[in-house]
Amino acid sequence: MARRYDQRTTIFSPEGRIYQVEYAMAAIRHAGATVGILASDGIVLAAEKKTIAKLLDSSKTQAEKMFKIDDHVVCAVAGITSDANILINHARLSSQRYFYTYQEPMPVEQLVSQICDTKQGYTQYGGLRPFGVSFLYAGWDSQFGFQLYQSDPSGNFAGWKATSIGGENSQVAQSVLRSSYKPDMQLKEALELALKVLTKTMDRSNINSEKLEFSYITRKDGKLVYHLFDAKELDDFIKATDLGQESDDQ
Amino acid sequence: MAYNGGAVIVMTGKNCVAIATDLRFGIQHQTVSNNHPKVYRINDKCFIGISGLVTDAQTLYQKLVFRHNLYKLREERDMTPQVLSNLVGNMLYEKRFGPYFTEPVICGLDTQDKPFISGMDLIGASVYTEDFLLVGTMTPAMYGLCETLYKKDMNEDELFETVSQCMLSSIERDAMSGWGAEVTIITPAKTYKKKLLARQD
Amino acid sequence: MMCEEAMIDRDDYAKRVRKERKNRIMIEINFDKISSSIDSNHEEDITRDLKYLSTTHFELPPNSKPGEFLDQVWDHPNAPKPIEMAHGTTTLAFVFNGGVIVAVDSKSTQGSYVASRTVKKVIEITPNLLGTMAGGAADCSFWERELGRRCRLYELRNKELISVAAASKILANIVYSYKGYGLSMGTMITGWDKTGPCLYYVDNDGTRLKGQRFSVGSGSTYAYGVLDSGYKPDLTDQEAQELGRRAVYHATHRDAMSGGFINVYHVKETGWVKISSDDCFKLYQKYYNVKPINDNNNNA
Repeated sequence: MARRYDQRTTIFSPEGRIYQVEYAMAAIRHAGATVGILASDGIVLAAEKKTIAKLLDSSKTQAEKMFKIDDHVVCAVAGITSDANILINHARLSSQRYFYTYQEPMPVEQLVSQICDTKQGYTQYGGLRPFGVSFLYAGWDSQFGFQLYQSDPSGNFAGWKATSIGGENSQVAQSVLRSSYKPDMQLKEALELALKVLTKTMDRSNINSEKLEFSYITRKDGKLVYHLFDAKELDDFIKATDLGQESDDQ
Repeated sequence: MAYNGGAVIVMTGKNCVAIATDLRFGIQHQTVSNNHPKVYRINDKCFIGISGLVTDAQTLYQKLVFRHNLYKLREERDMTPQVLSNLVGNMLYEKRFGPYFTEPVICGLDTQDKPFISGMDLIGASVYTEDFLLVGTMTPAMYGLCETLYKKDMNEDELFETVSQCMLSSIERDAMSGWGAEVTIITPAKTYKKKLLARQD
Repeated sequence: MMCEEAMIDRDDYAKRVRKERKNRIMIEINFDKISSSIDSNHEEDITRDLKYLSTTHFELPPNSKPGEFLDQVWDHPNAPKPIEMAHGTTTLAFVFNGGVIVAVDSKSTQGSYVASRTVKKVIEITPNLLGTMAGGAADCSFWERELGRRCRLYELRNKELISVAAASKILANIVYSYKGYGLSMGTMITGWDKTGPCLYYVDNDGTRLKGQRFSVGSGSTYAYGVLDSGYKPDLTDQEAQELGRRAVYHATHRDAMSGGFINVYHVKETGWVKISSDDCFKLYQKYYNVKPINDNNNNA
């Protein structure tokens, strides 16, 4: 492949591509899939965990890919987690800074756009590698209610009703979402859809709490609640959601 | 320090602490509001009372919320009063040559539910005591009262009574504070607030 | 009128004041006779002593400009803080068809320390005259007592009550003669004379004003707000008393230096009557129907 235009992050190839950014996106594809679905009463974030080693102490790192940015925004990561940590710290800081200045929570889109500006900067200024992460952001603000955003290493972002990042079978994931997403979905249906998507993209024999991470945000008594499923809860949920074992309903 | 007026008392009991505040907010001699508590909740087991210049107190509190939220996200737990005390002390000393005109008192229960109280001057020199601490515009009148009424190992009801009497009696002798009071009691099981009726002059 | 005064030469002014004092019927202070030397003439001694005792006199700094000297003393870094009782005050009085209402608070503060909540700030000069107290408590009470003495003498000499105009003029003349000596008083003199209900404002720099409504002290601006909005000449006695009480009550709420009890007096044709003395706290509970909230739990 092109060898002259991929040394630097800031150089376009003659076809108008920035190879380093594309490589970063390729890196994300190696990570497990992460799905986000916007329901009418909340947002589901679900992810496939790739790294499961026997000796890994999972009690210390409960959530591998889900991070709380503030009381009203959470994000799921696909890509290089260490890169993600830097951006998440940035995001947490700017969200608090916003709250300190205006004494109200930062609008979700503004927060996403802020992180994406940082990401973009690393594709333009010399000597730096782009961030090898895509994010799904689930948030709520008083202006626009529940919002789901996706961002990639180039710094692009957009709002979605349902989307996925990462995973080798992202095409599959997208098509399942496209065909099964219904507007006015309830949170419960969204959770089931997320499980269905992941079942399709993953090695089917391994659908259990060790390979999955599920969380959602919703509003209860005027407050936003973020809930991350623990192992038992997740296994119960998988058991309860009878996916008809392999029966393709498409 | 006496621009806005105000008084805060913290007192310990057996496995509980109380923090009382008056409700006046004034500009020198003019009373602007009679619903302005000087006590701020950091979390259910940790409160801070900030007397002095109200604009500085608000800024300091908002900065603490900022730091506490980041702390919660990173550590996935609440700050203990000990940690908060050190944080406030350091934040105040950062402004050694242009200080916030505030005197904070911190109170709460630590991880073992042991009472903790501390206070500091405007540039962060901390004091830790076992019994009580007071800040505000009428500390001389308050010390005598607290000294007399304080007993060791009070239960939460006795503590509420004592702290309320100290607050109500001392604001009677201070023109710059009063107009009502509010007491927050922190126990291992629950944290609750009670309003006290007081003179409005 | 005060600016004009300030430009006059101090020595000349002091001389003039002394001369005026001799000319008018007013308090005699003989500075030269304060330090008495041993005199062989016993009789002369006694007469001098009697004369000395029969006049009001003050010890003054051995200085030609006592006022200025006093200022310098207070300005000195080691000088004690001048104790000004009743510095913060709300007093008010107004004339209406039914007489004059006088309403005052009762708080006394030293700095932000509340020295007393039960100070009497209405001075009962004679059974027909009332004065109010704002500024220096000592100055007000002393000079209004002295005014009472003079008014009584006037009554005895002239077989009729002194007019409020005359009484207030006496006080104004006294304080004017001590101008620059640091007296501190803002007072209202009220009564009912041949001309009807009457109200005068007199203060330490010699101002004397006749008026329908006055309020004096740190809480006066707040009191004016209530008083002016609720005032009309044809108030009933009760309405008028309540207006005065409310005006002072609201002033005590806003002004940190006013409070305690609210004393209301009503000057009628037959003389003054003390109407009420209400604790602000009780009034607060009455006006706003506040019930004790201490007993029931109002948890956060």
